[in-house]
Order: sequence, then structure tokens, then C-alpha cells
Amino acid sequence: MNFSLTSHLLGAAGSNVDYGETFEGLMKSTGFLNLDWGNVVMIVIACFFLFLAIRFKFEPLLLVGIAFGMLLSNIPGPISDWIFHPEFWTSEEVAANGVDYLYVLNNGGLIDILYIGVKTSVYPCLIFLGVGAMTDFEPLLSNPKSLILGAAAQFGIYVAFFLAVCFGFSGPEAASIGIVGGADGPTAIWLTKALAPDLLAAIAIAAYSYMALIPVIQPPIMRLMTTKKERAIVMKPTRKVTKREKILFPIIIIIATCLFLPSVAPLLGCLMLGNLLRECGVTARLSDTAQNALMNIVTICLSVSVGATAHYTTFLTGDTLKIVVLGLVAFTFATVGGLLIGKLMCWLSKGKINPLIGSAGVSAVPMAARVSNLEGLRAKPGNYLLMHAMGPNVAGVIGSAVAAGFFMAVFGPMV
Amino acid sequence: MGEITELDALIISAIGFAIVFVVLIILMLIVMLMGLAADKGHVITDKLPKFRNPFKKKETAEEEEAQPLSEPLATGTCGELTLIRTEERDAAMIMAIVADSLGTPLNQLRFVSIRRLDDAQDAEVKQ
Repeated sequence: MNFSLTSHLLGAAGSNVDYGETFEGLMKSTGFLNLDWGNVVMIVIACFFLFLAIRFKFEPLLLVGIAFGMLLSNIPGPISDWIFHPEFWTSEEVAANGVDYLYVLNNGGLIDILYIGVKTSVYPCLIFLGVGAMTDFEPLLSNPKSLILGAAAQFGIYVAFFLAVCFGFSGPEAASIGIVGGADGPTAIWLTKALAPDLLAAIAIAAYSYMALIPVIQPPIMRLMTTKKERAIVMKPTRKVTKREKILFPIIIIIATCLFLPSVAPLLGCLMLGNLLRECGVTARLSDTAQNALMNIVTICLSVSVGATAHYTTFLTGDTLKIVVLGLVAFTFATVGGLLIGKLMCWLSKGKINPLIGSAGVSAVPMAARVSNLEGLRAKPGNYLLMHAMGPNVAGVIGSAVAAGFFMAVFGPMV
Repeated sequence: MGEITELDALIISAIGFAIVFVVLIILMLIVMLMGLAADKGHVITDKLPKFRNPFKKKETAEEEEAQPLSEPLATGTCGELTLIRTEERDAAMIMAIVADSLGTPLNQLRFVSIRRLDDAQDAEVKQ
């Protein structure tokens, strides 16, 4: 568009401002002249995720933030300069020398500043602090065998890891993809930011999307692998757990686990600290903050900054499609693993354990336990499995953290 | 460690899965021991001399008197709920499940008493 005539006329009328140049600059800075097909596709995808989160309540607390972050970083034009600079985090220079945080603070956009929390693992750990403060480990303490089901459901992680290597991903990338099967968003983000930061957005979106789809993914597998008679098994109430046990649990678990696998200390340490704040009875205010205010603030920062990393240049690739497929494989085999050991325990206990609780070993708390409960109710009205399924469910959180710690020990930076 | 072969992936998967199992089985044993100690621990603690907390305030006679014997019922309440061999926590859960199953808000339901079915059945058998 030519503004020279306007400028000439205004200049003749006594104006000192070159409006032609001003309007031309303004026009060039709009998104319309910088639009790329990738921007359009990503904006459509972001709007689709927003629709899923708002209309169908697919993990809305996280997916709304992720989709909005994605929307912000894919709007074409110089707006991206005010929001996020992928080159600050994933360039070859950064890979060689590490992130220059002072430079990021001086020159970064809004999301660059927020992304520091992801890069330094602060957000996933703080989320675990909140999860620990919200989690009641009583079902696990009253039935410790739940821990075996929590371990069995990590099967999907290793199947997906193996398949990812077969699909051509490197070891660290395959480990990050495999951890999607743990059905634990913060753990997936914690591991991926360290091992495969380029895949962070795709993995986080896959993890949270499949967690939201658990009521769709799991029931057919559960019905396929168990008989109606098994699903109708009514489990006896478990024993009452003392306050002392609840207080000792986080302290003993963190000592025992970190002695075996020190790399899980950040995640499990925060999970157990949160739980201790909840159970010790003298830090009610801190527990309340960890469960509510802190959790909500960190969730906003985490979701928006992770979503913003989904720039079309890195997101619209064949790898993203592979991650989506492998994520589904991971979830499917996680459910299969839990159910198989559930059936074994049912057989060993002579029909006292309902195998449906095995599928709750994938750690999407409490969605997976609720799905087990619903399937139990469908098989036999009044067969409430929720409290029994919560045991493997919270054990799955510990199991996926241990699996992530193992991958970190194998592929992570050497200490 | 970057590029790995399929065989390496298979071995790492097997080791990783085994480690998850080993760690969680150890945790299971620890939790079982804790449970055992909680169940049997009172046998030992009963024999020990009673520990008096020096920081605990003694309730004065005035404070004891100030506490009402029975709290008045809250406005809008439908009376008290009788719990028979049922923990308050379990009762709250049962009431929430019933409200959810019926699709009726909890404040529109009235629960008179909640009794453990197992105990009731046992009693019937004995009679």
C-alpha cells in the first residue's frame, strides 16, 4: 500500500511527521504480511484444543493454558519477539554452552521468563509438592500390595521406549516418549526438558490429551482382558491406618527411594514433602497453600510456557505424529500390564482381588481409579472399587517417578 | 549415551522395568513392616512408662466449664445422623456416593443412620 500521497498532503499542510513511513512500518509489522501456512495450522490446532478443553472438559486446567500458549507463540509477525524465543533454549550454541539466563532475563519475552521454571525443573517439582499435599496415601498404606500393581502399570513406558528406538528416535528422545505411558504430566515434562527439550510440547500435549482420554482408552481393554465374573468381585474393606504411619510414610519412603535411585530426589522429594505437610498436622496453612494457591499459580505458568514451545517450525513434523501414536501405545500397554498383574493377584488370592484395580496403576490420579470403579459398578451394581483402586493409582505416581529417575540416570547428564 | 540399537533398547527396558519392580517391592515391604509395627507396637508401648508432654497446657477448671455439654443444632439441619460402627470419613463418602447415584444434591437428602452391613449380617447369623 502506498502512503506517499497522504504523507505529501499532510506535509504540505504543515505536519512534521512522515505518516507514510509510519503507516508502512505499522502495516509491515502486522501478522497478515508475515502469515505462513504453519501459523494458520497451529492456530487451528490451538483453537481445537481450546474447544476440547472447554466443551468436553479434557484436562481443562492444563489444556486451556497449553493451547493458549500455543496460540500466542504462533501468531505471525513480530508479536513472537515479545513472547518467546525458541533460539534462546534449543540452538546449537545453547546445546554446547548451556542457557545464558542473564541474557534471557535481559532480552527474553514473557514466556521466556516463565520458561525458566520449566528449564530448571522448578514447576514440575512444585506441582508434585501440590500433588503430595492433595494425595491421601491411606489406600496404599492399608493395602501395600497395591505397589506391585503400580509397578506393573509402568510396562507401557518400556514398550513405548523400545518402539520409539525402533522408529528411529535416539535413546534420550525414546525415554522421553516412553514416559508418556506413566500418565503423569509433571514427570513427563521433568524428564523431557532434560533429555529431549525439542520434543517437550508434543510430549506434554500427548501426555495430557491421553490422560483426558483415559475413560475412552481403558474400558475396552479392561473388558477385553477380564471376565464379567472377575469384574464383579467385591473386595473387602482394608484395615484402618494410624496417624503415625501416615506421618512416617513420606519420611521413610524418601530415604529408601533416594538411597536406591538418587535421581528421583527432586520429584519424589517434593511429592513426599507435600504429603508430610498434609499429614503431620502442624502445617495446615502450608498444606493448604501447596494444594491450592501455589498449585494453581504453577499450573498457569507451566501450561502456558509449555504450550508456547509448540511453534510450528518444531511442532508440525513427522516426529509429532509418531509421538502421538507411541503415546497411545504406551497408555494401552500400561493398562495391559496393570491388568495382567491384577489377574495374577486375583488368581493367587483365590478371587479376593478384583483385577480391575490393576489398570488404575497408570498414575493419572484420580481418573484411572474412577474408571476402575465405574467398570466394577457396571459389572455389579454396588461394587464400589474406588478406595481399592486408589492404592495402585497413587503407587503409579511413585512408579512413574522411579521409571523417570532410571531414564535420567541412564541418559541424563553425568553428575 | 545418544544413539542406541534395538537390542540396547530391549536390555534397557528389561533392566528399567526390573528396577521399578524391585524399588516398589522394597517399598511394599517397608510399608508392610510399618503396618505390622502399628498393629503390634501398642504391646511394647503399653509396657513403657507414660510420657507426659511438658509443653501441653493443662485445661483450667474455667475452660472446662466454658465448654457446652451439647452443641445446639445448626440452622436448617434435619437432626443428627447415627453412625453404627462406621467412621465419619466412611459415612461422608457413602453419603456423597448416594447423592451422586441418585442425582440429588446432598443438602436435599436426609440420612438417619448408617450401619456397617457386614456387622449387621454377622449379627443376624449369630441370632
